[in-house]
Amino acid sequence: MKHLKAINNKAKLLEQAVGEDRVEEVVAMSAIAGCTATVDPGWEVDAFGGVASLCQPMESDLYGCADPCWWPAQVPDTMITYPDWNKDAANTREDWRNLGSVFPGDKL
Amino acid sequence: MKIKKIAAAMSGVVAVGLALASSPAVAAASAEALLRAKCLACHTETDAGFSRIADQRKSPEGWLMSIARMQIVHGLKITDEERRAVVKHLADTQGLAPSETEGSRYALERRLNTMEAFESEQFTQMCARCHSGARVLLQRRPASEWEHLVHFHLGQYPTAEFQAFGRDRDWLGIALKEVVPDLAGKLPLESEAWKAWQARAPQAVDGEWSLSGHMTGRGGFSGVMKVSAGKAQDLHALSFEGRWDDGKPMAGKGQALIYTGYEWRADLVVDGTPMRQVFALEDGVLRGRMFLRDHDEVGADVVASLQRDGNARVLAVHPAYLKAGDEGELRIVGSKLEGEVGLPQGVSLLETVRRSASEVVLRVRAEAAARGVHPVTVGAASGGSLAVYERIGELKVLPAYAVARIGGNGTPTAKVEARFDAEAWDAGPDGQPGTSDDFRIGVVPARWSVEPFDEVAVRDEDVKFAGLMDEASGVFVPGGAGPNPLRRMSANNVGNLKVVAEVQQGGTPVRGEGQLIVAPQRWNNPPIP
Repeated sequence: MKHLKAINNKAKLLEQAVGEDRVEEVVAMSAIAGCTATVDPGWEVDAFGGVASLCQPMESDLYGCADPCWWPAQVPDTMITYPDWNKDAANTREDWRNLGSVFPGDKL
Repeated sequence: MKIKKIAAAMSGVVAVGLALASSPAVAAASAEALLRAKCLACHTETDAGFSRIADQRKSPEGWLMSIARMQIVHGLKITDEERRAVVKHLADTQGLAPSETEGSRYALERRLNTMEAFESEQFTQMCARCHSGARVLLQRRPASEWEHLVHFHLGQYPTAEFQAFGRDRDWLGIALKEVVPDLAGKLPLESEAWKAWQARAPQAVDGEWSLSGHMTGRGGFSGVMKVSAGKAQDLHALSFEGRWDDGKPMAGKGQALIYTGYEWRADLVVDGTPMRQVFALEDGVLRGRMFLRDHDEVGADVVASLQRDGNARVLAVHPAYLKAGDEGELRIVGSKLEGEVGLPQGVSLLETVRRSASEVVLRVRAEAAARGVHPVTVGAASGGSLAVYERIGELKVLPAYAVARIGGNGTPTAKVEARFDAEAWDAGPDGQPGTSDDFRIGVVPARWSVEPFDEVAVRDEDVKFAGLMDEASGVFVPGGAGPNPLRRMSANNVGNLKVVAEVQQGGTPVRGEGQLIVAPQRWNNPPIP
């Protein structure tokens, strides 16, 4: 980290966390069943356990992140598993209402 | 490994019955014929059975997810009815023993606010970063199959390796050489528990069940569930009649299918609302969670016992607490409640209001000397307790950490609520909360509110945008989906909130706090999170 200089707020927060020796605390803050929280940013919470550093609004760059399976347990990846998930939502800024759940058919 | 979630048609319920043939042999034969017809295009026959399939054991939901993945990824064509028959067969013949699901049932029960904590940091990092650890712990495989699962993840989610810091460490090496043997050792295909479970005689379920439950955000309830043989093996018709602790009646009807000899899955309609029961059956007791079929965050903890000889049990006392010096009505709920009622010393019986084998209703008075938590018995039936408290010294918000999800607003994805209970504790004789003489009073009514969790939440006005907390019930309804142009950067209505419960004790407020994350929608919702 000593060769890198923080140039945005998120990086400054990270530097601060390292400085305060809070990195372990950040990683430990995690595991609510079925949430992707420890990937930075997670889908539900960011690396600091809050929501301010999430991709927001998530519609602005959803596919850029979710396509390569960033949060595959929460957001269907269109790269391999659900290629047609967003067929009615090519532009998420406009078509976000057309995204729906993917589990096929009735449950048990 | 130590392990410290409204309206749907009833057609699905009816279809459960249609899926099954009339006798077990016929059902198994037709399921095997279905497996042969549907799976042999890709799987091959081996000595053990079909490749891959024969080398795994899972919960019914686990098998459902595997078959659903075959539909999504590999183009399997199978009807809902056929799928149910195959899931039933596989769960019965390659399922998990009850002990093998211990500690992980929260995932089957859709308790999605469970904080998972695993002793193995490696397991947490490798598996539980993206999905629940319970999804893994509810499977049994030999090493070769765990290895296949690693390769499956790389093939299906090719960036997983990089996201898991694969540039900085030998991720694949760790996965194959360390995690696989560890999983194969702890979660093996063959186990004594499974062998013993398969040899066990079927359990009786038909009859009258006494049932007690508590729904967060609504309160306690109890009643009688009648279960009778259905039209197929392991299928049972059920009807429920009971009432909420506030006196309102509740009634439901539906049917249950038992997988693996103990995994009770029922679909029923309670007062017009489709609900689902995920229970485990063991020795005349059903235990688990009942939740709205299409809003599984709205649910109740439930325990029930079968009225039969030798199954005398007190399931619960409603309410399970009384203030010292007060009079009140107690409802003891259980099975075979015959004989003398054993009340704690210092709790005097004023009147027996009514009694039956499943319910004893009493008016009692608690003296100050009775302070503490004491057992309540009826004849041979034990298992209940009553807390007599002096004052509420501490209030805990449960769950202490919860996730709600934005939704609705013209989208097909419903909002996911968050619901909270205020759990009161008496500080005990020393008057100091947090010491060993503290005791749990129970869930009490409280005044609910939300506050910004931190400075960032103040800046982003999370309280204003993220949703509304109902002051009386502790039910939080999140905001609508979609970018919100009124927010900084048009952020979604996400938020980081402090959940506050407050009760008054002699004019002094006692506060409890929890945390609520209001998150974006989740679109991938398999039965196991």
